Amino acid sequence: MTVANEYIPGNSPIHSMTPLAKIIWTSVVMILALLFNHPLYLLALFFSVLLVAKIAGVLKVLISTLKSLFLFSLILILLQVLFTKEGEVIFYITEYLPVTKNAVYLGTAMGLRMMAAVLSFLIFLLTTRFKDIIQTLTNNLKLPIDYVFIFMTALRFIPTFLNEIKQVKEAQSCRGCSLDGWNPLVKIKAYAAVALPLVLVSLQKADKLAMAMETRGCGSGPRTCYREQKMSAADLSLVFISILLAVFAVLARLNGYGTYQY
Amino acid sequence: MYKLNNLTFYYKNTEVPALKNINLEIAHGEFLGIIGHSGSGKSTLAKCLNGIIPHYQHGRMRGQVLFNGNPTETLSIADISRSVGSVFDDPESHLITMEVEQELIFGLENMAVDPKEMQIKVENALEAVGIAHLRNRSINTLSGGQKQRLAIAAALAVEPKILVLDEPTSELDPIGSKEIYNLLAKFNKKGITVVLIDQKVELLARYASRIIVLNQGEIILEGSPREIFSADEKLNKAGVDIPQVTKLIKMLGFRYGKLPISVDEGAACILENMGIGK
Amino acid sequence: MISNPIIQVKDLCQNLDENHFILNKINLTIGSGEFLALVGQNGAGKTTLAKHFNGLLKPTSGKVLVDNLNTKYVKVSELAQKVGYVFQNPDHQIFHNSVEKEISFGLKYLNLPAEEVKRRTDDALKAVGLVDYRYAHPYSLSRGQRQRVALASVLVLKPNVLVLDEPTTGLDYRESMQIMNMIRSLNNQGHTIIMITHDMSLVSTFAKRVVVLNKGEILLDGPVREVLSHQEILSETFLEIPPISRLADKLSVIGIPKNLLTVEEVYRALCDVRGAEK
Repeated sequence: MTVANEYIPGNSPIHSMTPLAKIIWTSVVMILALLFNHPLYLLALFFSVLLVAKIAGVLKVLISTLKSLFLFSLILILLQVLFTKEGEVIFYITEYLPVTKNAVYLGTAMGLRMMAAVLSFLIFLLTTRFKDIIQTLTNNLKLPIDYVFIFMTALRFIPTFLNEIKQVKEAQSCRGCSLDGWNPLVKIKAYAAVALPLVLVSLQKADKLAMAMETRGCGSGPRTCYREQKMSAADLSLVFISILLAVFAVLARLNGYGTYQY
Repeated sequence: MYKLNNLTFYYKNTEVPALKNINLEIAHGEFLGIIGHSGSGKSTLAKCLNGIIPHYQHGRMRGQVLFNGNPTETLSIADISRSVGSVFDDPESHLITMEVEQELIFGLENMAVDPKEMQIKVENALEAVGIAHLRNRSINTLSGGQKQRLAIAAALAVEPKILVLDEPTSELDPIGSKEIYNLLAKFNKKGITVVLIDQKVELLARYASRIIVLNQGEIILEGSPREIFSADEKLNKAGVDIPQVTKLIKMLGFRYGKLPISVDEGAACILENMGIGK
Repeated sequence: MISNPIIQVKDLCQNLDENHFILNKINLTIGSGEFLALVGQNGAGKTTLAKHFNGLLKPTSGKVLVDNLNTKYVKVSELAQKVGYVFQNPDHQIFHNSVEKEISFGLKYLNLPAEEVKRRTDDALKAVGLVDYRYAHPYSLSRGQRQRVALASVLVLKPNVLVLDEPTTGLDYRESMQIMNMIRSLNNQGHTIIMITHDMSLVSTFAKRVVVLNKGEILLDGPVREVLSHQEILSETFLEIPPISRLADKLSVIGIPKNLLTVEEVYRALCDVRGAEK
C-alpha cells in the first residue's frame, strides 16, 4: 500500500487557503461523518469530499489510497454481515449466514464514514505545506511546539518507515526467508524477522533525528516565526460555510433526520 | 576557538574509554581533518565539540572542553549551535522537515532570528551550497548528494563560525564527495573553521591544513598532511590508509623535498629522481 | 563468448512509468566464477540491475536467467540458494541474539539435518573470520564485523553467485581490506562475485571485469585494464580513475605502460625502467 500524505504543489483554490480554514473544514467533515449514520447522507458527504479533492487536483494521487480504503470498507461490511443477524434478510449465503439489510447498511455507513474522514484529512495534508501546518498549529491554535513536532515528525517518518520495511523485507528474503507463504504460523514467524530489525533501525534513525534537532537549537527557548498567515475572504467564507453546515447538521440530527433506524 | 584539556570520556555502562587524555586546540580558520579506524573515537570527539556530549549523550567525562574559553558543560547545545554547525553522515536520517526551505527556516526560528532576515539568510545558504533552484522542493525528491548539501545549508543558515562534519561524504559517490570537499574549502577560505571527520585519505591529503589521527581513543599523530603520511608505522597501527602516490614514492625509496601527496607532486618527484625533467 | 554462463540478462528494461526508465535494454552475460564490478554514479541503475539477479525486481520487459531459470517464475527465497545478496546496511537483517543463530537463520527454511546446519554454519563463520564471536551478540560487534555476519548469513545457503552492494561503505580502511580479501578468497574458491561500488581503487585492486552503467545503460564492459583505459568515456560518467593510474599515465614519457592498476604494478614498471637504464 502506498500512502500519499505529502504536499503536492499546486495553484488550486484549495491550495491557496490558509491551513486553519482547512483544518476547520476537515474537522467539520469528521463531525458530520460521526453525526450521521444513514448511508445516503454519508454518501453525499463522501462525494462532497471527493469534489473538493477534484477542485484541489489531487484526486489522481489519492486513487491508490482510495482503493485501499475501499477494500477496507468491504471488510467492514463483511464483518457486519458476520455479526449482524437482525433485520430484513436480503439473501442467504448459506443456510446459517443470512445477509441482512441492517448489516449492509451499517457496514456501508461505517466504510463511508471512514473514507470521508480519512480523505478530508489527506486532502488537507496534500494541499498544505508542512511549514504552514506547523505555524497554524503553534501560532493560531496555540498548541505546544513540542507536541506539534512529535506529530509532524511522525508524518515525516512515514515514507522513511515504508522504505525501511521494504529494505528489511528484501534483505530477509535474500536469506531464504519466505514472506509470501500461506501457512499463517510460518508467516508470523517470518514477520518477526522483519519487525525486529525494523524496530532497531527505526530507533537508530529516531536517535539520529533527535540529535540533529538538538544541534539546530530545537527547544532552546523563545522562537520567532517566519511568516504570519492572514485569513482571506475565501478562507473566511469556507470557515463560515463549514460551521454553518455543522450547525445545520446538528439541528437536523436533533430533529431526527439522517439516522437510519436499525 | 576550542581547547580540549585532558579529555577522557566513557559511554554509559562501558569500561573502556571512548576518548583518552585528548589534548587539542583548534584555531580559527583551520581545516582540520580527523581520521582513525572505526571505534577510534572520531565521532565521540565530534560530539564533544558540538555539545551532544555531555548534554544529549551522557557518560563519565573527565577533563574539559573549552569553547571560546567556556566549558561546554556550562553551555547548552543550542548555545553552541549558534556558532557551530553540525553535519552528520546519512543525511536522510538527519533532515528534520519535509521541505527544503523549511529545513533552513527550522533552525533560524529556533534560534529566534528576526523573521525579516530569514529570507536573505535562506537564500544565501542555499546559494552557497549550489541548490538555490531546489528551494521549493520536497526533500523526498532530492538525491543523496543534494540532501547532504541541504544538510550543510541548514547548518550554514545560522551563519556559524565553525562546521563540524562527521563523515558527510560516506554515502556519496566520488564526484559527490569531491564537490562537498570543494564547498568546504570555499567556506574555509571565507573564514569558516572546518572540522572534518572522514576516511577518504586521498581527499583529506589534498584539502586539510592539519590532520589528527586517532587510535583507540588517543591522538597518536598530529600535523600537516605531509607530516602525517610520512609516519607509516603509526598509520599502519591505526589502520589508516595513505595516498597511493605517497605509498609508491616510499616503496621506491626516492628522495624528496616535501613528501608528495598528489599525482602531480608524485610525477614530478619520480621524474626528478629518474633524472628527467626539472 | 562466455563459456559457462550463470546469469544471462536479455534486453532488460525496468521502467518507472511509461516515459521514464531506470534500465534500458541491458544485455549482459556473467560467467560462473567471474569477479565483476558494477560501477557508475549514484542513480546510474547499479542496484536496480543487481536486484534483478536474484528476482527482487522483475523486468518490465526482457528477461533474466539465473542458472537457466527465468527469475520471473521463481521466488526470491528460492533463488537465494543460487544468488546471495549482501546489502549495504547489515542492520536491516540482524535480529538474533547471537552470531551463530543469526547466521544459521536462513537454513531453517531448508529442512536440513542438524549436522549439516552445524557444518554450514561453521564453514561460514570460518570464511568470514568470526569463529571466536560465535556466541557474541551481533550488536556488540563493530560495523565491519556485522557486515561480515551479514555476508556469512548469505553464505550458509551456498549460493554460487554473491552480489555485494557497496561492501565497504561505512567501514574503515582495515575493515574494508579484510572484507575484500575474504571476498577475493571466496572468488578463488569458485564463487561468482558481483560487486556494486563507485570506488575505482577497489575495482582496480580486486575485480577482473567491470561493467560501467550510466543513466540506465551499459556504457563499457570488459576487463578492468581495458575499461580504465577509456578515460574520456569514464569521465563522462563522473567516475574517478584511481590516482595511481593517473600517475602512471603521466609517466608514459619515461616508458611506463598505460593502464596500470595498482601501486605494486607501477612500482614494478618503474623498477624495470630503472633497471634498463643501468
